[in-house]
Amino acid sequence: MIKSTLLAVAGLAAVLLSGCSASDSVASKPAPADQIKRGQYLAQAADCMVCHTAKDGSGAPFAGGYPIHSPFGVIYGTNITPDKEHGIGAWSADDFFTAVTEGITPKHRLFPAMPYASYKSMTREDSDAIYAYLMTKKPVALANKENGLSFPFSFRPGLFFWQSAFLKDQLPDVSSGASAEWQRGRYVTNVLGHCAECHTPRTMAGNLDLSQSYQGNPKLDRIGAPDITPSGLAARGWTTTDLATFFAKGVAPQGSAYGEMYPVVHFSTQHMSGKDISAIATYLMGDTPPAPQPLKTISADAALLKAGQRTYIAVCAGCHGLEGQGKPNVSVAMKGNSTLRDINPQNLIVSTLDGIAEQKFPNNVTMQEMPGFARTLSDLEMSQLVNFLRATWGGQAADVSAEQIKAFRSEKH
Amino acid sequence: MTIAQQALTVHINGQNVTLDVPEGLMMIDFLHEYLNLTGSRFGCGQGVCRACTVILDNTDGTSEEIRSCITGAHFFNGKKIRTIEGHGKKNDKGEVVAVSPIQQKFLEHYSFQCGYCTPGFVNAATVLIEKLQREPVAKEQVEETITHALDSHLCRCTGYVRYFEAVKDVILTTPGLIK
Repeated sequence: MIKSTLLAVAGLAAVLLSGCSASDSVASKPAPADQIKRGQYLAQAADCMVCHTAKDGSGAPFAGGYPIHSPFGVIYGTNITPDKEHGIGAWSADDFFTAVTEGITPKHRLFPAMPYASYKSMTREDSDAIYAYLMTKKPVALANKENGLSFPFSFRPGLFFWQSAFLKDQLPDVSSGASAEWQRGRYVTNVLGHCAECHTPRTMAGNLDLSQSYQGNPKLDRIGAPDITPSGLAARGWTTTDLATFFAKGVAPQGSAYGEMYPVVHFSTQHMSGKDISAIATYLMGDTPPAPQPLKTISADAALLKAGQRTYIAVCAGCHGLEGQGKPNVSVAMKGNSTLRDINPQNLIVSTLDGIAEQKFPNNVTMQEMPGFARTLSDLEMSQLVNFLRATWGGQAADVSAEQIKAFRSEKH
Repeated sequence: MTIAQQALTVHINGQNVTLDVPEGLMMIDFLHEYLNLTGSRFGCGQGVCRACTVILDNTDGTSEEIRSCITGAHFFNGKKIRTIEGHGKKNDKGEVVAVSPIQQKFLEHYSFQCGYCTPGFVNAATVLIEKLQREPVAKEQVEETITHALDSHLCRCTGYVRYFEAVKDVILTTPGLIK
Protein backbone atom coordinates (compact mmCIF):
# COMPACT_ATOMS: atom_id res chain seq x y z
CA MET A 1 0.00 0.00 0.00
CA ILE A 2 2.72 2.37 1.03
CA LYS A 3 4.67 1.39 -2.07
CA SER A 4 1.72 1.98 -4.36
CA THR A 5 1.01 5.34 -2.73
CA LEU A 6 4.62 6.39 -3.23
CA LEU A 7 4.45 5.32 -6.85
CA ALA A 8 1.25 7.31 -7.32
CA VAL A 9 2.81 10.40 -5.72
CA ALA A 10 5.90 9.98 -7.86
CA GLY A 11 3.75 9.59 -10.95
CA LEU A 12 1.73 12.69 -10.08
CA ALA A 13 4.93 14.64 -9.45
CA ALA A 14 6.25 13.53 -12.82
CA VAL A 15 3.08 14.72 -14.52
CA LEU A 16 3.25 18.03 -12.68
CA LEU A 17 6.90 18.50 -13.49
CA SER A 18 6.39 17.69 -17.14
CA GLY A 19 3.53 20.18 -17.16
CA CYS A 20 6.00 22.83 -16.08
CA SER A 21 8.70 22.08 -18.64
CA ALA A 22 10.28 25.04 -20.35
CA SER A 23 9.12 24.16 -23.83
CA ASP A 24 5.46 24.03 -22.86
CA SER A 25 5.16 27.24 -20.94
CA VAL A 26 7.35 29.70 -22.82
CA ALA A 27 5.00 32.56 -23.58
CA SER A 28 2.52 30.19 -25.16
CA LYS A 29 -0.27 32.71 -24.90
CA PRO A 30 -0.28 36.43 -24.19
CA ALA A 31 -0.47 37.36 -20.53
CA PRO A 32 -3.53 39.30 -19.37
CA ALA A 33 -3.11 43.07 -19.54
CA ASP A 34 -3.64 43.54 -15.82
CA GLN A 35 -0.90 41.02 -15.05
CA ILE A 36 1.50 42.86 -17.37
CA LYS A 37 0.63 46.18 -15.79
CA ARG A 38 1.17 44.73 -12.34
CA GLY A 39 4.44 43.22 -13.56
CA GLN A 40 5.64 46.63 -14.70
CA TYR A 41 4.86 48.04 -11.27
CA LEU A 42 6.64 45.17 -9.54
CA ALA A 43 9.67 45.42 -11.83
CA GLN A 44 9.94 49.05 -10.78
CA ALA A 45 9.45 48.20 -7.11
CA ALA A 46 12.11 45.49 -7.42
CA ASP A 47 14.35 48.03 -9.19
CA CYS A 48 15.28 45.65 -12.03
CA MET A 49 16.02 48.47 -14.46
CA VAL A 50 19.12 49.94 -12.80
CA CYS A 51 21.32 46.84 -12.82
CA HIS A 52 19.96 45.46 -16.08
CA THR A 53 20.52 48.63 -18.14
CA ALA A 54 23.86 50.17 -19.12
CA LYS A 55 25.01 52.88 -16.74
CA ASP A 56 23.03 56.13 -16.59
CA GLY A 57 20.29 54.53 -18.63
CA SER A 58 22.37 55.02 -21.78
CA GLY A 59 21.69 51.53 -23.15
CA ALA A 60 18.48 49.82 -24.19
CA PRO A 61 16.29 49.20 -21.12
CA PHE A 62 16.84 45.75 -19.58
CA ALA A 63 19.51 44.86 -22.18
CA GLY A 64 22.21 44.67 -19.50
CA GLY A 65 25.68 46.13 -19.18
CA TYR A 66 25.62 47.88 -15.81
CA PRO A 67 28.88 47.26 -13.93
CA ILE A 68 28.55 46.14 -10.33
CA HIS A 69 31.88 46.45 -8.55
CA SER A 70 32.37 43.76 -5.93
CA PRO A 71 35.47 42.92 -3.88
CA PHE A 72 35.80 39.88 -6.14
CA GLY A 73 35.77 41.84 -9.40
CA VAL A 74 33.28 43.52 -11.71
CA ILE A 75 30.01 41.78 -12.57
CA TYR A 76 27.79 43.08 -15.35
CA GLY A 77 24.01 43.16 -15.21
CA THR A 78 22.66 40.81 -17.87
CA ASN A 79 20.28 41.12 -20.78
CA ILE A 80 16.77 40.32 -19.52
CA THR A 81 14.90 41.32 -22.65
CA PRO A 82 13.01 38.47 -24.41
CA ASP A 83 15.85 37.90 -26.91
CA LYS A 84 16.12 34.13 -27.22
CA GLU A 85 19.89 34.00 -27.60
CA HIS A 86 21.21 36.70 -25.28
CA GLY A 87 18.23 37.46 -23.07
CA ILE A 88 15.59 35.41 -21.29
CA GLY A 89 13.34 34.78 -24.29
CA ALA A 90 13.84 31.02 -24.06
CA TRP A 91 13.01 30.89 -20.38
CA SER A 92 9.70 29.70 -18.95
CA ALA A 93 7.97 31.40 -16.04
CA ASP A 94 9.33 28.54 -13.91
CA ASP A 95 12.85 29.23 -15.09
CA PHE A 96 12.39 32.88 -14.25
CA PHE A 97 11.06 32.11 -10.78
CA THR A 98 13.99 29.78 -10.07
CA ALA A 99 16.51 32.34 -11.29
CA VAL A 100 14.98 35.15 -9.27
CA THR A 101 14.46 33.26 -6.02
CA GLU A 102 17.29 30.73 -6.06
CA GLY A 103 19.90 32.18 -8.37
CA ILE A 104 19.85 29.26 -10.81
CA THR A 105 19.11 29.83 -14.50
CA PRO A 106 18.68 27.15 -17.18
CA LYS A 107 22.37 27.76 -18.09
CA HIS A 108 24.18 28.29 -14.82
CA ARG A 109 24.14 29.61 -11.28
CA LEU A 110 23.98 33.37 -10.80
CA PHE A 111 26.49 35.41 -8.87
CA PRO A 112 24.90 36.99 -5.80
CA ALA A 113 25.24 40.44 -7.37
CA MET A 114 21.73 39.42 -8.43
CA PRO A 115 19.91 39.92 -5.12
CA TYR A 116 18.25 36.52 -4.97
CA ALA A 117 19.18 36.32 -1.28
CA SER A 118 16.49 39.00 -0.88
CA TYR A 119 14.20 37.92 -3.70
CA LYS A 120 14.10 34.40 -2.22
CA SER A 121 10.75 35.17 -0.60
CA MET A 122 9.20 36.72 -3.69
CA THR A 123 5.76 35.24 -4.32
CA ARG A 124 5.20 33.13 -7.37
CA GLU A 125 2.41 35.48 -8.41
CA ASP A 126 4.74 38.49 -8.34
CA SER A 127 7.49 36.64 -10.17
CA ASP A 128 5.05 35.58 -12.89
CA ALA A 129 3.79 39.13 -13.28
CA ILE A 130 7.34 40.50 -13.69
CA TYR A 131 8.06 37.72 -16.17
CA ALA A 132 4.90 38.55 -18.12
CA TYR A 133 5.91 42.22 -18.24
CA LEU A 134 9.49 41.53 -19.34
CA MET A 135 8.18 39.28 -22.11
CA THR A 136 6.35 42.28 -23.59
CA LYS A 137 9.59 44.23 -23.98
CA LYS A 138 11.33 44.45 -27.33
CA PRO A 139 13.99 41.72 -27.64
CA VAL A 140 17.46 43.22 -27.84
CA ALA A 141 20.12 41.04 -29.47
CA LEU A 142 22.94 42.31 -27.29
CA ALA A 143 25.48 39.85 -25.94
CA ASN A 144 26.16 39.89 -22.22
CA LYS A 145 29.43 41.42 -21.11
CA GLU A 146 32.14 39.15 -19.81
CA ASN A 147 32.47 39.52 -16.05
CA GLY A 148 35.79 40.65 -14.62
CA LEU A 149 36.07 38.00 -11.92
CA SER A 150 39.21 36.07 -11.19
CA PHE A 151 39.38 32.37 -10.33
CA PRO A 152 38.05 30.88 -8.07
CA PHE A 153 35.30 33.51 -7.86
CA SER A 154 34.51 33.10 -11.55
CA PHE A 155 33.82 29.37 -11.08
CA ARG A 156 30.02 29.24 -11.17
CA PRO A 157 29.55 25.64 -9.95
CA GLY A 158 31.24 26.76 -6.73
CA LEU A 159 28.20 28.96 -6.12
CA PHE A 160 26.38 25.79 -5.05
CA PHE A 161 28.14 25.99 -1.72
CA TRP A 162 27.53 29.73 -1.37
CA GLN A 163 23.85 29.31 -2.13
CA SER A 164 23.50 26.32 0.21
CA ALA A 165 25.14 28.22 3.04
CA PHE A 166 23.69 31.69 2.74
CA LEU A 167 20.20 31.60 1.24
CA LYS A 168 17.72 32.12 4.06
CA ASP A 169 13.98 31.91 3.82
CA GLN A 170 13.54 35.25 5.51
CA LEU A 171 15.82 38.14 6.43
CA PRO A 172 15.83 39.40 10.00
CA ASP A 173 13.39 42.23 10.67
CA VAL A 174 14.72 45.74 10.96
CA SER A 175 11.98 46.86 13.33
CA SER A 176 9.10 45.46 15.32
CA GLY A 177 5.52 45.69 14.23
CA ALA A 178 2.41 43.72 13.46
CA SER A 179 0.13 46.05 11.51
CA ALA A 180 -0.96 45.17 7.99
CA GLU A 181 1.06 48.13 6.73
CA TRP A 182 4.16 46.89 8.52
CA GLN A 183 3.64 43.38 7.09
CA ARG A 184 3.35 44.77 3.58
CA GLY A 185 6.38 46.98 4.24
CA ARG A 186 8.39 43.95 5.28
CA TYR A 187 7.75 42.35 1.89
CA VAL A 188 8.29 45.51 -0.16
CA THR A 189 11.46 46.44 1.76
CA ASN A 190 13.11 43.08 2.39
CA VAL A 191 12.08 41.30 -0.78
CA LEU A 192 11.09 43.58 -3.66
CA GLY A 193 13.15 46.64 -2.74
CA HIS A 194 16.02 44.41 -1.57
CA CYS A 195 17.14 47.33 0.58
CA ALA A 196 19.29 45.13 2.82
CA GLU A 197 21.56 44.31 -0.11
CA CYS A 198 23.13 47.76 0.06
CA HIS A 199 22.40 48.77 3.64
CA THR A 200 23.89 45.67 5.29
CA PRO A 201 27.62 45.02 5.51
CA ARG A 202 28.97 41.89 3.86
CA THR A 203 31.33 39.26 5.20
CA MET A 204 34.52 38.07 3.56
CA ALA A 205 32.42 35.49 1.70
CA GLY A 206 30.32 38.23 0.15
CA ASN A 207 27.09 37.33 1.94
CA LEU A 208 25.04 39.79 3.96
CA ASP A 209 26.20 39.95 7.57
CA LEU A 210 22.73 39.48 9.01
CA SER A 211 23.97 40.15 12.55
CA GLN A 212 24.28 43.77 11.38
CA SER A 213 21.21 43.84 9.21
CA TYR A 214 20.39 47.34 7.87
CA GLN A 215 23.14 48.92 9.97
CA GLY A 216 24.74 50.43 6.87
CA ASN A 217 27.55 49.45 4.54
CA PRO A 218 30.27 52.11 4.25
CA LYS A 219 32.11 49.91 1.74
CA LEU A 220 29.28 49.88 -0.79
CA ASP A 221 31.09 52.45 -2.93
CA ARG A 222 32.82 55.83 -2.48
CA ILE A 223 29.45 56.89 -1.10
CA GLY A 224 28.44 54.33 1.51
CA ALA A 225 24.96 53.15 2.44
CA PRO A 226 23.94 54.62 5.80
CA ASP A 227 22.39 52.90 8.81
CA ILE A 228 18.65 52.62 8.22
CA THR A 229 17.62 50.85 11.41
CA PRO A 230 14.93 52.72 13.37
CA SER A 231 17.48 53.98 15.91
CA GLY A 232 19.97 54.91 13.18
CA LEU A 233 17.34 56.86 11.25
CA ALA A 234 15.92 58.58 14.35
CA ALA A 235 19.45 59.60 15.39
CA ARG A 236 19.70 61.50 12.10
CA GLY A 237 16.31 63.15 12.54
CA TRP A 238 14.21 60.95 10.27
CA THR A 239 10.52 60.34 10.85
CA THR A 240 8.19 57.90 9.10
CA THR A 241 6.56 60.81 7.26
CA ASP A 242 9.88 62.29 6.10
CA LEU A 243 11.05 58.89 4.90
CA ALA A 244 7.89 58.50 2.84
CA THR A 245 8.48 61.97 1.36
CA PHE A 246 12.05 60.98 0.54
CA PHE A 247 11.02 57.81 -1.31
CA ALA A 248 8.28 59.60 -3.25
CA LYS A 249 10.12 62.80 -4.11
CA GLY A 250 13.81 62.09 -3.56
CA VAL A 251 14.07 65.16 -1.37
CA ALA A 252 13.15 65.57 2.29
CA PRO A 253 14.07 68.09 5.01
CA GLN A 254 17.03 65.79 5.81
CA GLY A 255 18.47 66.03 2.29
CA SER A 256 18.22 64.54 -1.19
CA ALA A 257 19.01 61.09 -2.55
CA TYR A 258 22.54 60.84 -3.93
CA GLY A 259 25.13 58.17 -4.61
CA GLU A 260 23.61 54.75 -5.28
CA MET A 261 20.31 55.91 -3.76
CA TYR A 262 19.68 58.43 -6.54
CA PRO A 263 18.93 55.84 -9.25
CA VAL A 264 16.88 53.90 -6.70
CA VAL A 265 14.55 56.87 -6.29
CA HIS A 266 14.75 57.73 -9.98
CA PHE A 267 13.88 54.29 -11.36
CA SER A 268 12.07 52.68 -8.45
CA THR A 269 10.61 54.34 -5.37
CA GLN A 270 9.12 57.42 -7.03
CA HIS A 271 6.95 55.11 -9.14
CA MET A 272 5.56 53.20 -6.17
CA SER A 273 2.06 53.69 -4.86
CA GLY A 274 1.60 55.92 -1.83
CA LYS A 275 0.52 52.83 0.07
CA ASP A 276 3.71 50.90 -0.65
CA ILE A 277 5.91 53.91 0.03
CA SER A 278 4.19 54.41 3.34
CA ALA A 279 4.58 50.69 4.05
CA ILE A 280 8.36 50.84 3.50
CA ALA A 281 8.65 53.85 5.80
CA THR A 282 6.53 52.11 8.44
CA TYR A 283 8.59 48.94 8.21
CA LEU A 284 11.90 50.80 8.50
CA MET A 285 10.77 52.81 11.52
CA GLY A 286 8.47 50.19 13.08
CA ASP A 287 4.87 50.39 14.24
CA THR A 288 6.07 52.39 17.24
CA PRO A 289 8.80 54.56 15.76
CA PRO A 290 11.47 56.11 17.97
CA ALA A 291 11.27 59.89 18.29
CA PRO A 292 13.60 61.83 15.97
CA GLN A 293 16.53 63.08 17.97
CA PRO A 294 17.07 66.83 18.23
CA LEU A 295 20.40 68.26 17.10
CA LYS A 296 23.00 67.96 19.84
CA THR A 297 24.99 71.01 20.82
CA ILE A 298 28.65 70.31 20.25
CA SER A 299 31.49 72.00 22.02
CA ALA A 300 34.51 72.43 19.81
CA ASP A 301 37.53 74.67 19.45
CA ALA A 302 36.14 78.06 18.38
CA ALA A 303 39.20 78.93 16.28
CA LEU A 304 38.97 75.66 14.36
CA LEU A 305 35.28 76.15 13.72
CA LYS A 306 35.94 79.71 12.59
CA ALA A 307 38.48 78.47 10.05
CA GLY A 308 35.94 75.97 8.76
CA GLN A 309 33.23 78.62 8.62
CA ARG A 310 35.46 80.85 6.50
CA THR A 311 35.93 78.05 4.02
CA TYR A 312 32.19 77.40 4.09
CA ILE A 313 31.46 81.04 3.27
CA ALA A 314 34.13 81.07 0.58
CA VAL A 315 32.98 78.07 -1.43
CA CYS A 316 29.67 76.68 -0.05
CA ALA A 317 27.46 79.48 1.23
CA GLY A 318 26.72 80.87 -2.23
CA CYS A 319 24.45 77.85 -2.80
CA HIS A 320 23.79 76.33 0.62
CA GLY A 321 23.16 79.70 2.31
CA LEU A 322 25.02 81.54 5.05
CA GLU A 323 22.83 79.87 7.67
CA GLY A 324 22.98 76.46 5.98
CA GLN A 325 19.36 76.80 4.96
CA GLY A 326 19.81 75.62 1.35
CA LYS A 327 17.87 76.96 -1.65
CA PRO A 328 14.90 75.32 -3.36
CA ASN A 329 15.88 73.73 -6.68
CA VAL A 330 19.51 74.65 -6.07
CA SER A 331 20.90 72.91 -3.02
CA VAL A 332 19.83 70.98 0.05
CA ALA A 333 19.91 72.48 3.54
CA MET A 334 22.98 71.74 5.63
CA LYS A 335 21.19 72.37 8.90
CA GLY A 336 19.92 69.02 10.14
CA ASN A 337 21.13 67.26 6.99
CA SER A 338 21.20 63.49 7.40
CA THR A 339 24.73 63.23 5.99
CA LEU A 340 26.07 65.83 8.41
CA ARG A 341 24.31 64.02 11.26
CA ASP A 342 25.89 60.69 10.37
CA ILE A 343 28.48 59.65 12.96
CA ASN A 344 30.53 58.31 10.04
CA PRO A 345 31.91 61.32 8.10
CA GLN A 346 32.64 59.28 4.95
CA ASN A 347 29.75 60.46 2.79
CA LEU A 348 30.23 64.10 3.76
CA ILE A 349 33.94 63.91 2.96
CA VAL A 350 33.51 62.05 -0.31
CA SER A 351 30.70 64.25 -1.62
CA THR A 352 32.72 67.35 -0.75
CA LEU A 353 35.78 65.94 -2.52
CA ASP A 354 34.03 64.45 -5.56
CA GLY A 355 30.96 66.67 -5.91
CA ILE A 356 27.49 65.48 -6.90
CA ALA A 357 26.12 65.57 -10.45
CA GLU A 358 22.97 67.55 -11.21
CA GLN A 359 19.88 65.73 -9.97
CA LYS A 360 16.36 65.68 -11.37
CA PHE A 361 13.51 64.67 -9.11
CA PRO A 362 9.76 64.30 -9.64
CA ASN A 363 7.59 67.39 -10.21
CA ASN A 364 10.44 69.27 -11.93
CA VAL A 365 12.42 69.57 -8.72
CA THR A 366 16.13 69.76 -9.39
CA MET A 367 19.30 70.03 -7.41
CA GLN A 368 22.02 71.61 -9.44
CA GLU A 369 25.47 70.16 -9.87
CA MET A 370 27.68 70.45 -6.81
CA PRO A 371 31.31 70.86 -7.78
CA GLY A 372 33.92 68.72 -6.08
CA PHE A 373 36.51 70.59 -4.07
CA ALA A 374 39.34 68.06 -4.13
CA ARG A 375 41.52 70.43 -6.12
CA THR A 376 40.39 73.66 -4.47
CA LEU A 377 40.81 72.76 -0.80
CA SER A 378 43.79 71.29 1.04
CA ASP A 379 43.39 68.36 3.42
CA LEU A 380 43.52 70.77 6.36
CA GLU A 381 40.96 73.17 4.87
CA MET A 382 38.68 70.27 3.99
CA SER A 383 38.90 68.81 7.50
CA GLN A 384 38.13 72.21 9.01
CA LEU A 385 35.15 72.60 6.70
CA VAL A 386 33.81 69.13 7.45
CA ASN A 387 34.26 69.66 11.18
CA PHE A 388 32.46 73.00 11.02
CA LEU A 389 29.55 71.38 9.17
CA ARG A 390 29.33 68.39 11.52
CA ALA A 391 29.57 70.42 14.72
CA THR A 392 27.37 73.33 13.66
CA TRP A 393 24.55 71.65 11.75
CA GLY A 394 25.04 67.95 12.33
CA GLY A 395 25.41 67.59 16.10
CA GLN A 396 28.50 65.45 15.51
CA ALA A 397 31.97 65.74 16.97
CA ALA A 398 34.47 67.93 15.13
CA ASP A 399 36.97 65.10 15.06
CA VAL A 400 37.79 64.59 11.38
CA SER A 401 41.54 64.80 10.75
CA ALA A 402 43.42 65.98 7.69
CA GLU A 403 44.82 62.45 7.43
CA GLN A 404 41.30 61.05 7.04
CA ILE A 405 40.65 63.48 4.21
CA LYS A 406 43.89 62.45 2.55
CA ALA A 407 42.94 58.79 2.79
CA PHE A 408 39.60 59.42 1.08
CA ARG A 409 41.20 61.34 -1.78
CA SER A 410 42.65 58.22 -3.30
CA GLU A 411 40.47 55.51 -1.81
CA LYS A 412 38.34 53.49 -4.16
CA HIS A 413 35.94 50.81 -3.15
CA MET B 1 23.16 94.18 14.36
CA THR B 2 26.81 94.42 13.44
CA ILE B 3 28.01 92.62 10.38
CA ALA B 4 31.45 91.14 11.02
CA GLN B 5 34.09 92.61 8.75
CA GLN B 6 37.23 90.92 7.56
CA ALA B 7 40.22 92.35 5.75
CA LEU B 8 40.51 91.38 2.09
CA THR B 9 43.44 91.89 -0.26
CA VAL B 10 43.00 90.94 -3.90
CA HIS B 11 45.12 91.64 -6.96
CA ILE B 12 42.54 92.70 -9.56
CA ASN B 13 43.37 93.62 -13.15
CA GLY B 14 46.96 94.44 -12.25
CA GLN B 15 46.30 96.36 -9.05
CA ASN B 16 46.23 95.40 -5.39
CA VAL B 17 43.05 96.26 -3.52
CA THR B 18 42.76 96.03 0.28
CA LEU B 19 39.49 96.65 2.07
CA ASP B 20 37.50 95.50 5.09
CA VAL B 21 34.37 93.81 3.81
CA PRO B 22 31.55 91.74 5.40
CA GLU B 23 32.43 88.09 6.01
CA GLY B 24 29.57 86.63 3.99
CA LEU B 25 29.98 88.88 0.94
CA MET B 26 29.97 87.12 -2.42
CA MET B 27 32.67 88.16 -4.90
CA ILE B 28 30.28 89.61 -7.45
CA ASP B 29 28.87 91.95 -4.83
CA PHE B 30 32.38 92.98 -3.86
CA LEU B 31 33.20 93.78 -7.50
CA HIS B 32 29.97 95.70 -8.04
CA GLU B 33 29.47 97.48 -4.76
CA TYR B 34 33.00 98.15 -3.54
CA LEU B 35 35.02 98.51 -6.75
CA ASN B 36 32.37 99.64 -9.25
CA LEU B 37 33.51 96.85 -11.58
CA THR B 38 30.05 96.09 -12.94
CA GLY B 39 31.10 94.23 -16.10
CA SER B 40 30.78 90.81 -14.45
CA ARG B 41 27.09 90.02 -14.74
CA PHE B 42 24.83 88.74 -12.03
CA GLY B 43 22.62 86.26 -13.88
CA CYS B 44 21.17 83.25 -12.11
CA GLY B 45 22.92 83.89 -8.80
CA GLN B 46 23.39 80.17 -8.31
CA GLY B 47 26.38 79.29 -10.41
CA VAL B 48 24.57 77.93 -13.44
CA CYS B 49 24.69 80.58 -16.19
CA ARG B 50 28.31 81.67 -15.69
CA ALA B 51 27.71 85.28 -16.74
CA CYS B 52 29.57 86.19 -13.52
CA THR B 53 32.74 84.28 -14.43
CA VAL B 54 36.06 85.89 -13.53
CA ILE B 55 39.57 84.61 -14.25
CA LEU B 56 41.75 83.34 -11.42
CA ASP B 57 45.47 83.47 -12.19
CA ASN B 58 47.18 80.67 -10.34
CA THR B 59 50.73 80.91 -9.07
CA ASP B 60 51.84 78.12 -11.43
CA GLY B 61 51.01 80.29 -14.45
CA THR B 62 47.72 78.59 -15.28
CA SER B 63 44.39 80.39 -15.31
CA GLU B 64 40.91 79.15 -14.51
CA GLU B 65 37.30 80.29 -14.45
CA ILE B 66 35.61 81.02 -11.11
CA ARG B 67 31.93 81.86 -10.67
CA SER B 68 31.86 85.06 -8.65
CA CYS B 69 28.17 84.82 -7.68
CA ILE B 70 28.66 81.69 -5.58
CA THR B 71 32.19 82.29 -4.38
CA GLY B 72 32.83 84.35 -1.27
CA ALA B 73 34.97 87.45 -1.68
CA HIS B 74 37.43 86.17 0.93
CA PHE B 75 38.12 83.07 -1.14
CA PHE B 76 40.19 85.45 -3.29
CA ASN B 77 42.23 86.85 -0.40
CA GLY B 78 45.84 87.01 -1.55
CA LYS B 79 44.91 85.79 -5.02
CA LYS B 80 45.19 87.36 -8.44
CA ILE B 81 42.16 87.76 -10.71
CA ARG B 82 41.07 89.38 -13.95
CA THR B 83 37.60 90.66 -14.71
CA ILE B 84 36.18 91.74 -18.07
CA GLU B 85 37.44 95.26 -17.34
CA GLY B 86 41.02 93.99 -17.31
CA HIS B 87 41.35 92.70 -20.87
CA GLY B 88 41.89 95.88 -22.89
CA LYS B 89 45.14 97.83 -23.02
CA LYS B 90 44.99 101.14 -21.22
CA ASN B 91 47.06 104.29 -21.50
CA ASP B 92 48.54 106.23 -18.61
CA LYS B 93 45.24 108.00 -18.05
CA GLY B 94 43.47 104.69 -17.63
CA GLU B 95 41.66 104.95 -20.96
CA VAL B 96 41.19 101.79 -23.02
CA VAL B 97 43.26 102.09 -26.18
CA ALA B 98 43.00 98.53 -27.51
CA VAL B 99 40.85 95.50 -26.89
CA SER B 100 42.24 91.97 -26.53
CA PRO B 101 42.48 89.71 -29.62
CA ILE B 102 39.52 87.74 -28.31
CA GLN B 103 37.43 90.84 -27.79
CA GLN B 104 38.43 91.96 -31.30
CA LYS B 105 37.22 88.69 -32.84
CA PHE B 106 33.98 88.93 -30.87
CA LEU B 107 33.50 92.39 -32.43
CA GLU B 108 34.33 91.16 -35.93
CA HIS B 109 31.91 88.25 -35.67
CA TYR B 110 29.32 90.44 -33.96
CA SER B 111 29.15 87.88 -31.18
CA PHE B 112 26.52 89.72 -29.19
CA GLN B 113 22.82 89.87 -28.96
CA CYS B 114 21.76 91.38 -25.66
CA GLY B 115 25.36 91.06 -24.49
CA TYR B 116 24.55 90.06 -20.94
CA CYS B 117 26.48 86.81 -21.03
CA THR B 118 29.37 88.18 -23.10
CA PRO B 119 31.76 88.95 -20.20
CA GLY B 120 31.52 85.34 -19.09
CA PHE B 121 32.14 84.08 -22.63
CA VAL B 122 35.12 86.42 -23.12
CA ASN B 123 36.65 85.22 -19.86
CA ALA B 124 36.01 81.57 -20.71
CA ALA B 125 37.51 82.04 -24.18
CA THR B 126 40.54 83.77 -22.65
CA VAL B 127 41.13 80.89 -20.26
CA LEU B 128 40.80 78.48 -23.19
CA ILE B 129 43.29 80.38 -25.36
CA GLU B 130 45.77 80.54 -22.48
CA LYS B 131 45.42 76.81 -21.98
CA LEU B 132 46.03 76.20 -25.67
CA GLN B 133 49.19 78.32 -25.47
CA ARG B 134 50.47 75.80 -22.93
CA GLU B 135 48.89 72.71 -24.46
CA PRO B 136 48.14 73.11 -28.20
CA VAL B 137 45.62 70.74 -29.78
CA ALA B 138 45.43 69.11 -33.20
CA LYS B 139 43.47 71.07 -35.80
CA GLU B 140 40.78 68.42 -36.02
CA GLN B 141 40.19 68.73 -32.27
CA VAL B 142 39.57 72.48 -32.31
CA GLU B 143 35.79 72.41 -32.58
CA GLU B 144 35.42 69.76 -29.90
CA THR B 145 37.80 71.70 -27.65
CA ILE B 146 35.78 74.91 -28.02
CA THR B 147 32.50 73.10 -27.37
CA HIS B 148 33.90 71.48 -24.26
CA ALA B 149 35.36 74.74 -22.94
CA LEU B 150 32.29 76.92 -23.50
CA ASP B 151 29.60 74.30 -23.02
CA SER B 152 28.62 75.32 -19.51
CA HIS B 153 28.08 79.00 -20.40
CA LEU B 154 24.47 79.94 -21.08
CA CYS B 155 23.22 82.51 -23.58
CA ARG B 156 19.49 83.16 -23.28
CA CYS B 157 19.48 84.81 -26.73
CA THR B 158 20.97 81.53 -28.06
CA GLY B 159 23.81 83.37 -29.78
CA TYR B 160 26.15 80.43 -29.46
CA VAL B 161 27.11 80.10 -33.11
CA ARG B 162 28.71 83.51 -33.30
CA TYR B 163 30.56 82.97 -30.05
CA PHE B 164 31.79 79.66 -31.40
CA GLU B 165 32.90 81.14 -34.70
CA ALA B 166 34.75 84.01 -33.01
CA VAL B 167 36.67 81.68 -30.71
CA LYS B 168 37.45 79.32 -33.58
CA ASP B 169 38.77 82.27 -35.59
CA VAL B 170 41.09 83.27 -32.73
CA ILE B 171 42.44 79.75 -32.41
CA LEU B 172 43.01 79.24 -36.12
CA THR B 173 44.68 82.62 -36.65
CA THR B 174 46.86 82.80 -33.54
CA PRO B 175 50.22 81.06 -33.95
CA GLY B 176 51.07 78.30 -31.48
CA LEU B 177 47.60 77.17 -30.47
CA ILE B 178 47.47 74.25 -32.90
CA LYS B 179 50.07 71.52 -33.09
